[in-house]
Amino acid sequence: MSLRIQENGKAEREPAVKTDVKEEGRYLYCIVEARERVSLGKIGIEGEEVYTLPHKDICAVVHNCLAQPYRSDDHELIEAWVINHQKVVDTAWERWGVVLPLSFDTIVKGETADSTEQNLKTWLEHEYQNLKMKMEKVRERAEYGVQVFWDLRLAAQDLTETSPEIKKLDEEIKTKPRGLAYMYRQKLENLVKKGLETKADECFKDFYFRIREHAHDVRVEKIKNTEPGWQMILNLSCLVHKDKCRELGEELESINQIKGFSVRFTGPWPPYSFVGSA
Amino acid sequence: MEPTRNCHATLVDLLDRVLDKGLIIHADIIISVAGIPLIGVNLRAAVAGVETMLQYGLMKDWDECIRSQETERRRALIATGSREAIAQTNLASV
Repeated sequence: MSLRIQENGKAEREPAVKTDVKEEGRYLYCIVEARERVSLGKIGIEGEEVYTLPHKDICAVVHNCLAQPYRSDDHELIEAWVINHQKVVDTAWERWGVVLPLSFDTIVKGETADSTEQNLKTWLEHEYQNLKMKMEKVRERAEYGVQVFWDLRLAAQDLTETSPEIKKLDEEIKTKPRGLAYMYRQKLENLVKKGLETKADECFKDFYFRIREHAHDVRVEKIKNTEPGWQMILNLSCLVHKDKCRELGEELESINQIKGFSVRFTGPWPPYSFVGSA
Repeated sequence: MEPTRNCHATLVDLLDRVLDKGLIIHADIIISVAGIPLIGVNLRAAVAGVETMLQYGLMKDWDECIRSQETERRRALIATGSREAIAQTNLASV
């Protein structure tokens, strides 16, 4: 807001485009369980001052900005913004215990500073029950990322050795002339591919249910491949009670011990995947 | 095993969450910009590498985009007449 006042104060000397009255905005980091308006200091994006806007016993954690999104072509800058966003959410999480995080670049708008604040308060009032319910869901819990990979070469090798159909075809190929062998190889590759998919599906189900045991809630995320040779076969976000994190870790360790499998376990994250909409 | 949140090793996990998830507000008090998801996509491509983006949703979730990418790649290989390369591509995409 101080930025606005400065801009307006200098308005006469600024070019026309800068004197346009821009709408006020409040950049939203998260909703927390707190009652008072307090400052968290200049820890926001671009060093903005972060503070709480209360309604009853919940607060929005915000900074003042113009009602326009943060945009840039500079990837490093956006990355810094996103990391900064996360740091603010972490700070609030640590301080107040329960946090409903918002995604990057969520900005509440209004015509003036007062109306912007009022818009936000009205929204908090309107969504109060809903937000409180969400807070109960994530209380004492944190989000963890669980990804299981398998060694693709080892899995394929395993399949070739154990599937009679594939084994037979593999041996037949050796007796065929070159042209025909090529077609057979195509057939073999399709069989291996299909077999791997079935196997991956079985593993997914097995691991999913084992992991599900230790989590309050689980979201299935998209499979992504990042490491050559290792294929992701399961990607989950898990909402886990703080007392159950160790159990989950032990379960994951037992999966990690299986030959040809590797587990990635990240967190604790604020419950980004378990807050839904309001 | 212990969960990790080392800043560099888990940057992609962080970006996935902060850019795509979190509480969604359905109210007209929120400024909306069509470009926002694009920032996310661009950024993630830069962080994880374009190849990774193209490999999203392997196995049963192969989407049209990936299929056509793969088809084009094979076509290009066929055009160059490299059969061995095609076979290898097939194996690599298994």
